[in-house]
Amino acid sequence: MSDTPDTPDTPDTPDTPDTPDTPGIPELPDGTTVDGQSPDYDIVFVGGGIATATVAKTVVEKAAAQTPPVYPRILILEAGRATAMSADKYDTYVEAYQEAPIKVPNSPYPASRSAPQPDVLDIAEVPSDKGYFVQKGPMPFGSDYARSLGGTTLHWLGTCLRMLPNDFQMRTKYGRGVDWPLEYTDLKPYYERAEWDIIGVSANVEHQYYPIKNVEKYFESADEKKMRKGRYLFPMEEIPSSYLDDYMAKLCADLTVELKDDDNKTHTFPVRVTNTPVARNSTPTKPDYQVVGAVGNADRGTRCEGNSSCIPICPAQAKYNALKTLYDLIVKYPDRPLKKGEKPRAVVTVRSQSVVMSVEHTQEKGKKGTVTGLTYKTYYEDGTPAVPHTVTAGTYVLAANAIENATLLLASEAANNSGQVGRNLMDHPLLLTWGLLEDNAGAYRGPGSTSGIAAFRDGEFRKERTAFRVEIGNWGWNFPENAPYDTVHDLVGGGTDGQARMWGKELRDTLGAILPRQFRIAWELEQDPEATNRVTVDDRYRDRLGKNRPVIQYDLSDYVKSALPWAAEASRQLFAALGIANPVRRPVYEPGDYTHYDADDAAAVEHDGVTYWVRGAGHVVGTHRMGDDPWNSVVDTHQRSHDLPNLYVVGCGSMPTLGTSNPTLTMTALAIRTGDHIAENLSRKADQK
Amino acid sequence: MSEGAQPPTPKQIFTDLSVRLTGFDRAELAGTGMIDTYYDTLLRIIGEREAGQLFRYAAEALADDRRVGSGDAALEQKVIENPRFAAVVVSLIKLWYLGSWYPLAGDYRDDNGSTADDVEHVVSAQGYREGLVWTAAGAHPMGAKPPGFGSWAEPPTLIS
Repeated sequence: MSDTPDTPDTPDTPDTPDTPDTPGIPELPDGTTVDGQSPDYDIVFVGGGIATATVAKTVVEKAAAQTPPVYPRILILEAGRATAMSADKYDTYVEAYQEAPIKVPNSPYPASRSAPQPDVLDIAEVPSDKGYFVQKGPMPFGSDYARSLGGTTLHWLGTCLRMLPNDFQMRTKYGRGVDWPLEYTDLKPYYERAEWDIIGVSANVEHQYYPIKNVEKYFESADEKKMRKGRYLFPMEEIPSSYLDDYMAKLCADLTVELKDDDNKTHTFPVRVTNTPVARNSTPTKPDYQVVGAVGNADRGTRCEGNSSCIPICPAQAKYNALKTLYDLIVKYPDRPLKKGEKPRAVVTVRSQSVVMSVEHTQEKGKKGTVTGLTYKTYYEDGTPAVPHTVTAGTYVLAANAIENATLLLASEAANNSGQVGRNLMDHPLLLTWGLLEDNAGAYRGPGSTSGIAAFRDGEFRKERTAFRVEIGNWGWNFPENAPYDTVHDLVGGGTDGQARMWGKELRDTLGAILPRQFRIAWELEQDPEATNRVTVDDRYRDRLGKNRPVIQYDLSDYVKSALPWAAEASRQLFAALGIANPVRRPVYEPGDYTHYDADDAAAVEHDGVTYWVRGAGHVVGTHRMGDDPWNSVVDTHQRSHDLPNLYVVGCGSMPTLGTSNPTLTMTALAIRTGDHIAENLSRKADQK
Repeated sequence: MSEGAQPPTPKQIFTDLSVRLTGFDRAELAGTGMIDTYYDTLLRIIGEREAGQLFRYAAEALADDRRVGSGDAALEQKVIENPRFAAVVVSLIKLWYLGSWYPLAGDYRDDNGSTADDVEHVVSAQGYREGLVWTAAGAHPMGAKPPGFGSWAEPPTLIS
């Protein structure tokens, strides 16, 4: 790679920085755009995923309940297609998945040349512009996202862990990364609303074991009326742990992993298998909780039925996806004139196949400004040219995935006085380890993961190396070894001599003896924010509509890399407790540790002379971090642009650090907080009229 | 079971051969609903003439093995280890187990030529769902035939 990583841009220091106005008071041009015209909409959203769905639902409901009530006109622009808003059409996605020769997260979802999406199959040696991303390296960014209505919740696993209190204070506690401008206690009521009102999370507090002093207090609710004595209940009972989880829990019951730091000090981690809170429907904990089933077919998907394909698609929609919230909105607040006698209400319009090209604004570098409109192009399937449009609104919300938000802002030269737009890109680098157990543990059944080990999520060691979370996988070696396909290929053989090695009853029995004993673990490392891990734009790289493609520079810091030998050693101790310490390699199949990392893999990482593979977790985080200081952050705690006060930039991109939780739940909690804030401002505006 | 005086049809031979190659009985294979599809797939990819030869050899071997009463010695010798058919057998086993066609080995293609359909592909969504590998694993295809809420917490049972 020829490019030298840039040092962070220092913003042009203005003589006197534009001090933000009184926090919370919008500077919106109060119902009019700068040229004095009424805006087309009250709020325009970019992107039809969970962030938009959450903000929109929160705004609509809260604004209507305020005095005086406000009924905003909302437009949602979605770059991809909206072809899954009925049960039968959603089934075409399921069919596409089943027919895909290689089943990766985006297999079910129709790609369009006009709104291309990243795909993990495009990951190659860097530099590479093989796929939608232009990957500059030194490592490829290993994750993707979906550009379809519903967004990446269509193919997420559904893990819904809250962040731990220390995750919000990495600088203060461990001298790493940055602190959040919010604390866990600030976000806690929003976590509860995310779990109850948007996503629907299944878990039992008493089966959560985290490396914090008092787990019950961590979950304790301030809502004593809803939660008796503050004892928190998730809306649904936990999804049962798999037989494999219980098998591992039994063998590891007395295990304490011991890891030595650089000073030869031993850190101890008692291993306890912990049921994971997830966005999969289960049995309500309270009679008034309404389980949300499939879009357009409410009777389906009211409980997880064990399709074992959460990624890439839940055929029953028992797993939450953003279509559910969006569907609810467009049914309740349809895009048509009010009927005679109909009560006033909000209007929600969804326009798909509409790619936002730029954010129009009045901002000059170093100053604040106003967003004056969005330009977008609508494309068609019949080959006619895309049609350009401009739309105006009182409030603009970018919620198009961290990488898309950054790309759009950079291409528009907007909201970037801090120079932080596109920077601090993070993921959870995954170290996979996998083995073959002594006993049949029933692999290839149930959701992708039902349990994990939380012991490594926090501790003093975070001063030296990142924390990590342990996810136990229920789908055998599907991820690391493309099993059961490769297992069949190994046994049947064929190769160049072309002759079957195993067949008939022996083949059937041998597969039956091997496959249910396969398991894998994902050691999900926290990544720290680094200014040099970034998304940029380069006019040489554009897609078919002329929109800038994301150009990505990505690497792992030494802080992250230092966690790799710890995760690998923890895995060795765990595997020893499981009775499978001896290393084995395919095509031999006997109980043992099959973990191996070859140096020629595109995802190979070397640290201290040892090679590892690091996969992406699909957790695209950073790029428009929140903070109190406009000169080193992009948005404030309401995800409102410091530079463009009628612009909100929402999603996982706002997270200053990542912790070890899958980010969607935290992002949803933040989005609810943003929705409240926007609704309050709408009311205030209405008041002023 | 006596077939009477009628010689078995090619499709019957195909089914009998598939039973021996997969270790699944006729009812199990018929239950997948894929016999006709895979029969057609095989004919399309290796051609009717070559398929006819395969069935002729297979019918003889199956009859020989039946006469002996147990074992697959004749099948092994006349079909599975026969360089003329070995590659086809491999692709056929994988077809049944995985629902995908995997291209014939290079040597086979050099000797016999190749057809446009002899590329890796999922034969159909149903073929994917009916892949025998899932049953062999005591599981169900990922993304289909869900076993029901909480079934994954139960001890595994292998259908054999």
